[in-house]
Amino acid sequence: MKVLIIIPAYNEAGSIIDVIDNIDIFYPTADKLVINDSSTDNTKEVLKQKGVNFLDLPVNLGIGGGVQAGYLYAYENDFDIAVQMDGDGQHCAEELSKIIIPIENGTANVVIGSRFIDKKGFQSSAMRRIGINFLSGLVRICTGIRVRDVTSGFRAVDRKFIEIFSKDYAQDYPEPEAIVTVAKAKGKLVEVPVVMKERKTGKSSISITKSAYYMIKVALAILIQKIAG
Amino acid sequence: MSTSLRLVTIFFALLYFVVLVILLKNGRLALKYSLLWIFSGVLFWIAVAFPDLLVFVTSFIGIEVPTNGLFAISILFVILILMSLTVIVSEINIRIKTLVQKISLMEKRIRELEDILGTERKNIVK
Repeated sequence: MKVLIIIPAYNEAGSIIDVIDNIDIFYPTADKLVINDSSTDNTKEVLKQKGVNFLDLPVNLGIGGGVQAGYLYAYENDFDIAVQMDGDGQHCAEELSKIIIPIENGTANVVIGSRFIDKKGFQSSAMRRIGINFLSGLVRICTGIRVRDVTSGFRAVDRKFIEIFSKDYAQDYPEPEAIVTVAKAKGKLVEVPVVMKERKTGKSSISITKSAYYMIKVALAILIQKIAG
Repeated sequence: MSTSLRLVTIFFALLYFVVLVILLKNGRLALKYSLLWIFSGVLFWIAVAFPDLLVFVTSFIGIEVPTNGLFAISILFVILILMSLTVIVSEINIRIKTLVQKISLMEKRIRELEDILGTERKNIVK
């Protein structure tokens, strides 16, 4: 099966090549597509020099808009499986097969790599875990699906959801909302334990000041998706 | 309503329509986005032409001073127009997002074609 690994990158010049190299080592059969979301550093030059497959967004769209461009590419180029993986190195290429296998053997439409099942590796801060647990509870109430790591951006989807996400994907902070989309489309979702690392370079896209906005926006989005039925 | 107040309101109601027509004529305002503005302008005219109607409507709703009724109606329309603006901005946002995504996909294809063509392209440019 044709596998595409979508790697959204905003100012990740310091880490993106390591991410690509690790994929080449641990999952060499996959195609890679970096989404350069109008980085202001030299991410684009680094990608060009290395000869990596990349999309160059002319204006910054945010993670959701960027990843959706990747899904569009996967859809247009007939990929069977699309994987999302961060460009900052916090998701490990060693774990790729874990989230791809359930889709290859048809046991899931969508697989989410979760930090909180085996509770190994980087566990995020206590404050963030409270927020994640709250959103996880909200998703469970609204969809009946239990996902522990609702904000995880390490996920794999099959052809059906490549098509769905290429048409409908939230522009900012899309991860929890996408789970509701999966539930509405009656997709089979599986969460598998993975180990994540703390990011090495760059900054998280979610600062403390943005956290409140994040919680309110995502909670509302989940509720509205639920009401819109 | 005093005569001077009526004259002033008629003046502003006229000015409002003159500005609206100029903007529409120049193409600076798209007709499809101006319908709410035109509609609220018409209501404004009716209120100016028939002040008794305004008095009747406001007292019917239970507002004692007609001016307050006018304020309430104006604020209602301002809110409606603001909401429609947000709807328009959201639509434009989605369109821009889709355009940016499509452009990036096409840019990638062009880049790849140029790589394949390589020297030939340079010859064409010459």
